[in-house]
Amino acid sequence: MNAFFASVEQQANPELRNKPIAVVGGGGRTVITTSSYEARAKGVKTGMAIWEAKRVCPELIIVIGDNRKYTYTSTRINEIFRDYTPEVEAFSIDESWLDVTHSLSIFGSAETIAYQIKARIRHSFGITCSIGIAPNKLLAKLASDMQKPDGLTIIAPEDVSRVLERMPIKELCGIGRKMQRHLNMMSIYTCGELGRCDEARLTKKFGIIGTRLKLMGQGIDHSPVIQFGEEDEVKSVGHSRTLERDIDDPAEIRRFLLQLSEMVGSRARKYNVSGKTIHLYVRYADFYTSWGKQTSLKNYINQSDEIYKAVLSILATVELEQPVRLLGVCLSNLKHQAEQLPLFEDERKKLFATQAMDKINDRFGSMAVTFGSLVKDKAKSGSHVIPPSWRPDGIKNVDVK
Amino acid sequence: MSARTAIRVAAIFSPGGKVTPKWFELNRRKHEIKDTTYFWRDRIGEVPLMHYAVSDGEALYELVYNTIDQTWSLNGLQSEQP
Repeated sequence: MNAFFASVEQQANPELRNKPIAVVGGGGRTVITTSSYEARAKGVKTGMAIWEAKRVCPELIIVIGDNRKYTYTSTRINEIFRDYTPEVEAFSIDESWLDVTHSLSIFGSAETIAYQIKARIRHSFGITCSIGIAPNKLLAKLASDMQKPDGLTIIAPEDVSRVLERMPIKELCGIGRKMQRHLNMMSIYTCGELGRCDEARLTKKFGIIGTRLKLMGQGIDHSPVIQFGEEDEVKSVGHSRTLERDIDDPAEIRRFLLQLSEMVGSRARKYNVSGKTIHLYVRYADFYTSWGKQTSLKNYINQSDEIYKAVLSILATVELEQPVRLLGVCLSNLKHQAEQLPLFEDERKKLFATQAMDKINDRFGSMAVTFGSLVKDKAKSGSHVIPPSWRPDGIKNVDVK
Repeated sequence: MSARTAIRVAAIFSPGGKVTPKWFELNRRKHEIKDTTYFWRDRIGEVPLMHYAVSDGEALYELVYNTIDQTWSLNGLQSEQP
């Protein structure tokens, strides 16, 4: 999708159309999540602080985003894709890959499918998208980024080397700023140069990634489109939260950790997984300093209070150097849980109480029933940011507010 | 405006579960819906909610239909923010 959140807001509110707008989160310390093309033309960029964006574009209109509007739209758009092929892989909330190889006999060509999809998205939601058609995922992503907004770019197999010859390496999906810097230091600036580079030189510098980098430079990508239900098993369940203000009060830190533990625990229980490893992540007030520490337990757990206890045991081993800006809790080393009743009465009661709590929350909404110490912040609880790993279905479908 | 206010809404319920709000009452004034600019669904627990961004030609409102209670509420007024 093109400037997805901003386009949805411009569609929902005609007053915002053709104007520079920026979508921000609802929290107190929010940055620009995305901006309209009109704002981008004036220099507004994702990640800018609001004051910074207003400085480059004084007429910028700030819109507080509505995550549920975006997740609903994304889910519906992915349903449109599935009308053309079952092989749809959501890459993020506004990007998906489709393998239409086996649909060509029905629809004629990939180009026809692309035009139909563009028309249906525009008709249903009034928003535009850019589509790339290519022999593999790497090149399709590259093609979709080549013409924005509302583009349709085709990289035919016979054109691959010509397109890549002068293409800057940073345009390839998977080559970030750090990798770009490393490659630049090796005098590699274009995909053509990357593809011609001696593989031994790349593997010496980057290990096994070196081989993959060379293939990327040549436009070769064998990774399949992985449709929903066929993904690798999820390896972790986690939640993090940037606090409204920096905190150093231990009681307040514990309360946020309990809230995160409950979010992690309830999602793990919903999808019937439990984990052995608990990870605590802390970012300090200066933004740049952070640490993460983990502990592995003897047993698999998914009860919120047990996750919380494990998190506290990690916290007890560390002396906080600064007030805390962000906290994160993650449960990993997962296994799908087989239902097993605990042997002892007390544990059975606790399990039944948790199950009852989960049922009430499923019926009346998350945190309808929660720990007493969390009641105060109930309205602010939950996930307020769409994580990059968000997917329309399954355990990665985080219920955002 | 962000608090949910229960309101009276006239809507057409079409086959296939399509619901089209036509007018609503707010502060004893009837507002004809000139345009539904966006629609989305979400749920609170088991309760599916249908959201409509609607315009009466003067302002933009967000109407929410609770499909279990069969009630309408005004969820907010979308406007530009300085």
